[in-house]
Amino acid sequence: MNQVLNLPLIRLLVIKDWQLFQKQLAAYVLAGIVALALLGLARPWAFYLGSLLLIIVLVAGSCFSISNSLLVERKEQTLAFVMSLPLSPLDFTLAKLAGNLLTFGVPFGLLLLGTLVVVLTTPLPDGLVVYSLLIYGHILLAYSVSLMVAMQVESEGWNTFAMIASNLLVNPLIMLLGQIDAISIPARADAIVWSLPAVLILSAQVLLSLAALGFTAWWHGRKPAFY
Amino acid sequence: MTAAFAVSGLCKRYPHFALQDVSLTLAEGEVMGLVGVNGAGKTTLLRLLTGLAAPDAGSIDVLGHRLPQAQVAAKRGIGFASEDMRLYRSQSLDWHIALVRQIYPEWDDNYAASLMRRFDLRAQQPIGGYSHGQRVKALLLLCLARRPRLLLLDEPTTGLDPVARAEVLEALADVLRDERRSVLFSSHNTHDVEQLADHIAFLHGGRLLAHRDKESFLDDWRRVLCLGSLPPTLANWPEVAQVRSAGSQIEVKLRAWRDDLPERLAAQGLTVQRVDPMALEDIFVTAVRAGGAA
Repeated sequence: MNQVLNLPLIRLLVIKDWQLFQKQLAAYVLAGIVALALLGLARPWAFYLGSLLLIIVLVAGSCFSISNSLLVERKEQTLAFVMSLPLSPLDFTLAKLAGNLLTFGVPFGLLLLGTLVVVLTTPLPDGLVVYSLLIYGHILLAYSVSLMVAMQVESEGWNTFAMIASNLLVNPLIMLLGQIDAISIPARADAIVWSLPAVLILSAQVLLSLAALGFTAWWHGRKPAFY
Repeated sequence: MTAAFAVSGLCKRYPHFALQDVSLTLAEGEVMGLVGVNGAGKTTLLRLLTGLAAPDAGSIDVLGHRLPQAQVAAKRGIGFASEDMRLYRSQSLDWHIALVRQIYPEWDDNYAASLMRRFDLRAQQPIGGYSHGQRVKALLLLCLARRPRLLLLDEPTTGLDPVARAEVLEALADVLRDERRSVLFSSHNTHDVEQLADHIAFLHGGRLLAHRDKESFLDDWRRVLCLGSLPPTLANWPEVAQVRSAGSQIEVKLRAWRDDLPERLAAQGLTVQRVDPMALEDIFVTAVRAGGAA
């Protein structure tokens, strides 16, 4: 197996994915900005509405990225066109992973940055930074797991299940964080406190996300052909 | 002569289908029509030839590259279009051209423009607004304008109206004038194969039944009409693919025509009324009904 990567083509395919979805991604970012504006009002009703809208936007954005880049391409048979180009299964996998990380990562990164700015510059308690990062960490993990499943499994049903189940787990996570005093009490204070449970949870989220993405790249990189 | 591709002892197994022991060679500049019913293995063979699928056994060399290991190098010289391949509906043909042009240095802008005019395609219109025929033609344009050394087409004319089909076949005929380019196209439309191919490969049930140049292949088959009573052993002659009788009228379809056959039929008490060549479609149907021996 020729393992020399076709980097120019990988770059082209990543740009292609960005071009295909940039308008919709801009709409997600816009909706996220509305949610952040609500959060910034620092009133209970606005905080509740804003945080709910923000989570909806983040979940919808991550599902959109996976659905359109992988599931819709498979369903609409445009994958066959891409696979006919001079690239290996490893090139294809890396292009898909990079394209997905870009289309997910840019809105995710912008909204994460926006959230930190809103928390730190409005009357909201700065302790929410840790709490917010843990929520974002979960969205990242749910996205990585969903992406791994989408790359492995062709079944639309299993992919829908993976996306819904992994993202809905944010609810029990929020409840769990509320039960851990080392996280919930500092979240109401005006100081950023990185307690051990917070560090452990965030580390686990990031490491598991990297493991899911790494496994996907390794698994597909071993394949000599697409079928 | 250089081979555009050569496969030997090729096997690929799926749960409900297997391509078995296929050995086939296409010389540079030749045009091969791959004929077979749905499910015969045409798409599987083409996927193997593009490196998209890995064989379970056997070897595949395409444009001097061993597949699937060197699929990237091979695919640089291959233009592949299949009936189930689609372009991005939200994007225009111009957008697709801009993408493909960056990948293939041999991309020919003038040829692309001439194909665009011939196919009457609107470059700025999103592909989603194209008819099926226009989508097929757009895909072919993207394949042809990159000037591939080997063109692999899986059912290129399926679902096209007669006008679009004629346009596509004319464009393919132009490609075939270039003696350095080789073409393998699969079809269950035998008229297309008869019109374009100079070699015929006949797949049935995952096996390659025949691989010959078109003229000698067609020359082997004859339809003979006789009068008389049906000899009971006639159907067992190795040259006979099919025998049908209606009253005293007997129709014999022969897969291995020889000049002495009318005499041998006469020796069986039959009066030979006429001997006709057979069209590829008739041969195809007869061979499939006869259990696949072509």
